[in-house]
Amino acid sequence: MTDNPKLRLRGVSKRFEATRANGPTTAVADFSLNVANGEFVCIVGPSGCGKSTVLNMIAGLDAASAGSIEMDGRTITGPGADRGVMFQDYALMPWQTVEQNIGFGLEYGTPGEGMTPAQRAQRVRDYIELVGLNGSERKYPHQLSGGMRQRVALARLLANGPEVLLLDEPLGALDAQTRLILQVELLRIWGETLERSHRKTAIFITHDIEEAVFLGDRVIVMSSHPGRVKADILIDLPRPRQESLRMSARFGELTDRIWTLIRDEAYRAIGGGSPANTPTQEIRV
Amino acid sequence: MSTAGLALGNGRPVTTALWQVLALPLLALLVWQVWALTLESDTRAPYPIKVLTTFLALTASGDLPSALLQSLGRVIAGFCFALLLGCGLGILMGANRKLRDSLDPIIEGFRPIAPMAILPIAILWFGTGTPAALSIVTYAAFFPLLVNTVHGISHVDPKLVRAATTMGLPRWRIMLRVLLPASLPSVVLGARLAMGVAWTAIIAAELAVGAKSGGGTSGGIGQMMFVFYAYSVDLNAIVVCMIVVGVVAMLIDRIFRAVERRLMPWRP
Repeated sequence: MTDNPKLRLRGVSKRFEATRANGPTTAVADFSLNVANGEFVCIVGPSGCGKSTVLNMIAGLDAASAGSIEMDGRTITGPGADRGVMFQDYALMPWQTVEQNIGFGLEYGTPGEGMTPAQRAQRVRDYIELVGLNGSERKYPHQLSGGMRQRVALARLLANGPEVLLLDEPLGALDAQTRLILQVELLRIWGETLERSHRKTAIFITHDIEEAVFLGDRVIVMSSHPGRVKADILIDLPRPRQESLRMSARFGELTDRIWTLIRDEAYRAIGGGSPANTPTQEIRV
Repeated sequence: MSTAGLALGNGRPVTTALWQVLALPLLALLVWQVWALTLESDTRAPYPIKVLTTFLALTASGDLPSALLQSLGRVIAGFCFALLLGCGLGILMGANRKLRDSLDPIIEGFRPIAPMAILPIAILWFGTGTPAALSIVTYAAFFPLLVNTVHGISHVDPKLVRAATTMGLPRWRIMLRVLLPASLPSVVLGARLAMGVAWTAIIAAELAVGAKSGGGTSGGIGQMMFVFYAYSVDLNAIVVCMIVVGVVAMLIDRIFRAVERRLMPWRP
């Protein structure tokens, strides 16, 4: 990786002011990360570790309290269509049909500037095709299944042509089977089979370790209170990733290693002790 | 979720046949009519057959339709004023926290004051004609529209606004393309409530203005009721007016629901 990083976070912190219920909290502390162009980086960590806060700061939706966030060497100061966000519950406009939702940014935002209506419509059709939503163009979000809504959100994200994809637990609301299928789909749509330089830079937030290992080129493990980078793990699994990969020894090693890193915190988060220091009970049959 | 309560047990939707809906009201009318037969023939007490013939006579003479049209016209005009004022101010207040906080005490101070309570001032300022009635209707319809518009705009899912900013929409476009459509259900609900109170307010206002003007030329169905009450003591005609007021209110609400469905086909 000789190029300059696409994204560079240096010593980024996020403090939230005191509210009536809580004192001031530091959600993210001294977070540094470089993401290369075309790289797929997953961030995992226990609930409330500040994963989403990091993503929102890159998106420009939240301002960092300290440190700097740069894209292509330029400091990020606010939201922009060069960084597309896919939200956990998709944030589709309920009053718009599938095709209107996908074309929302093209129609009303900066991505559609300089395009003719015909070009916009063509782009919307292309992405409907890509995510396989043909026949559902005129449906409203409430008429779609969770998996289909997820596809609409993905198509909307890509139709806007962002340089960086920021994905905030985009598969979190789906059932386990749909998730597995959509992980493979997501990699196909992302452009896994293309050369690296043609892929989009992606940051993917998840709490699912296997999902992170299956999707990512790298997995960033975060610790919480405050959120910090605990480990940065290179995922040396071949692309395109196949379903069978989940059974491989290397996949198991990587997920185990990450689980070991966050296990203690995960146990503490649910109020139990780590199994390491809890006496095991003998079970007699 | 939307079918909950409709489908019970064996999965057959529970439907109520028309005769089941009408049986009780018809029975009540029948009992009322039979009871009336036991009274002396020159009784003032209202009963179904007499109410019906009075209705036909008032309709044939044109008195009832013209009074109804006059009241309806006032309601629609007052509603439109309130729509402009309530939605306009509601959008500004919904979008601007500071404005909302500073206007809130004034709004909440006036809101509990019944429309009838401003009648004395309305009559003193505007006399006993249409402007007085209109101002009361506008006042009555203003609050539901304002409160629901403010609520609608200020309770739009912030995620939708955030999503729009990440797609490069400027602020004014977010207002136009996110906040307004997202708050439409709340605004339409406010409009329905406003139309309901406007219609009740106009009848009360016309009754009172009619009383003040001594049954003069203030017009409207409320004034008509006052005349039947104070001058001819015609209870049948008053019952006719009551029923017409109720039926018209129901029809207006039906129209609103139809508009609601047309305006928001995306609602589950």
